[in-house]
Amino acid sequence: MNEEELFRKYRETGDVTLRNQIVEKYLYIASVLAKKFVGRGVDYDDLYQVASLALIRGVDRFDERKGLKFSTFITPTITGEIKNYFRDRSRLVHLPRKVSELRVGIKRASEEFLAEQGRKPTAAELAGKLGVTEEEVLRCSDAGGVVSLDTPVDREGDSMSLHDILPADSDVFEDIEDRDALDSALRTLEPEERSLVHYRFVQELSQMETAKKMGISQMNVSRMERRILQKLREILKKSMVG
Amino acid sequence: MKEYLTLCLPLRREMMTTARLATGGVCAVAGMSYDGGEDCKVCVTESLLLLMRRGFSAASVQFTDCERGICVRVRGTDGSASVALSDEDEIALALLNALAESVTMQEAEGCISFVFGSQE
Repeated sequence: MNEEELFRKYRETGDVTLRNQIVEKYLYIASVLAKKFVGRGVDYDDLYQVASLALIRGVDRFDERKGLKFSTFITPTITGEIKNYFRDRSRLVHLPRKVSELRVGIKRASEEFLAEQGRKPTAAELAGKLGVTEEEVLRCSDAGGVVSLDTPVDREGDSMSLHDILPADSDVFEDIEDRDALDSALRTLEPEERSLVHYRFVQELSQMETAKKMGISQMNVSRMERRILQKLREILKKSMVG
Repeated sequence: MKEYLTLCLPLRREMMTTARLATGGVCAVAGMSYDGGEDCKVCVTESLLLLMRRGFSAASVQFTDCERGICVRVRGTDGSASVALSDEDEIALALLNALAESVTMQEAEGCISFVFGSQE
């Protein structure tokens, strides 16, 4: 039975055995296409599964009377499904720690740069600021550059910006990573320094109250606090980029 | 029209990595996204393999900028299109059409061209 006859018979009878026969005959296309997208952070097996499901759905939608070859019809269908999968699931793909930290760094550095300079940074400027190569910035960034928070998002003409729809500081994974990085940084402090951090930022005591608790002057608390914050900033910056 | 790069290479499988790396570099320079660059690499590789299967032994890949992004022209430079399109070639062409815009193939000249939007 040739391709046209096979599809015609399946369309007329809806016989699942025939559909399975067609799927098996063209499963190689799912395999070929899945291989083209390997190396972007998703395993071949997952891509093959997405491609195979798209193939099964495509068999039902194909109309041999339109004169198109099945391979020509199904290739863009499968490709579209794979690209949708990347778009929908890419945030769930586990990124190496360094990459995810750099992504956080890029986001923060972009906001700081915008606040300081009044314009968006280039990839080269971000790279300079973060002490990494331009290529690393480009590979970590979603759009090859940095998307402005003022970018309009077309939502039924209500002229909302990206800033309006982004959840503010509610990225759970980023929070966990930040806390983890902070814990590591705090462990590098001297016991006295850790006490100061505890009084000032956990108990939220004033510098004067902290001074009394620690038996030192308020001036010393102020100096020590400045030194500790600078030290933590440097440690966190180092852990963020390398 | 600004020319980014013209790459001339023998059509051998081991040269595909070189072509892909060069393509990735051009896409980064042109300001394309990571996914756009990866898609462009797939299209360049598919075009080169298609020309190789058809009987060409060398090719050039020319990247130029155009209004909509970058235009890529892959041309067989040594040999001729002596073999008919296979099933694999048809899948390759359908893949090109799915990933890129304005895909054209001039059979006789062994030339495939396509456009990648800078917002891809």
